[in-house]
Amino acid sequence: MGIEAAFPQVVLTIGDLPIRDSVFYTWVILVVVTLASIIAYRRYRAANPGTWQLAIEYVVEYVEGLIHDTIGRTLPSTVPYLTTMIVYIALCNVMGLIPALRSPTRDINTTAALSIISLISTQYFGATKRGIKGQALSIFEPVALMAPLNLISLLSRTLSMALRLFGNVIAGEIVGLTMFSLVPLLVPLPMNLLSMITGLLQALVFTVLTIVFVADAMRLDD
Amino acid sequence: MQPEQILQFANVTTIVVGAAIVLGTITAAIVEGRAVNRAFDNMARQPSVADRIRGLLFVTLALLESTAIYVLLVCLILLFANPFAQLFGL
Repeated sequence: MGIEAAFPQVVLTIGDLPIRDSVFYTWVILVVVTLASIIAYRRYRAANPGTWQLAIEYVVEYVEGLIHDTIGRTLPSTVPYLTTMIVYIALCNVMGLIPALRSPTRDINTTAALSIISLISTQYFGATKRGIKGQALSIFEPVALMAPLNLISLLSRTLSMALRLFGNVIAGEIVGLTMFSLVPLLVPLPMNLLSMITGLLQALVFTVLTIVFVADAMRLDD
Repeated sequence: MQPEQILQFANVTTIVVGAAIVLGTITAAIVEGRAVNRAFDNMARQPSVADRIRGLLFVTLALLESTAIYVLLVCLILLFANPFAQLFGL
């Protein structure tokens, strides 16, 4: 198989709809994360927390610290959404390194969906602060002449976030495939390590950028 | 199309892709090196804010790296999913 193996393949068909493996592994992550959350909820103890609860609280506190470090204040209403994003993207990127699984984020459709959801969420959080009409009219701030530039910046931010995540993951996959076809024995292992580091780093960068855009849409310094 | 035209298409694509990758990665590496240089100097000057600088440094490096990733994406498209290859029946 050539380089085409790095891109998503159709694995099953529901009725008339072909399902790519990126969608299938997204369902796998969905089931895993939902089960983990339900287990943590059932075992919640305020006084003497167990290991599972401590791990999840660590992640949530990490995201809250990230918000505080990035914009200097806390946004409690955005923490669930951002925690979900960072956990999902980190799991997606690292999943590709386990032998039988592939990353869903090596599909441009997954990363485009994630960045479109980020765009919608920035507008949503801005609308919770200023109302739907205020958020829609914010395109004309500071001057009405800036409206095309504001629209272009919204579009380019979304596109760049999608392409950044997709490019990092697919580059790692293609280089891994190429190395594997040349020297299968031990040489692809450093590439796996590098892919793990860049996968986690890209999850962090995606979340930090979403925080910055949400804070920008909410106009927090007014 | 004659084989000479297909060969010329392949040659030009390869040369352009090679040049693009070199330019893209050199630019990204130089700029990231300058950012890291200044970050390390300031982390040594003020150890109390070293953690904040380190956090911002990683995020900024990933953002600078993304431009090199855009160049890589275009080169991969030109090599493996070239839209003009259909004109040659490839």
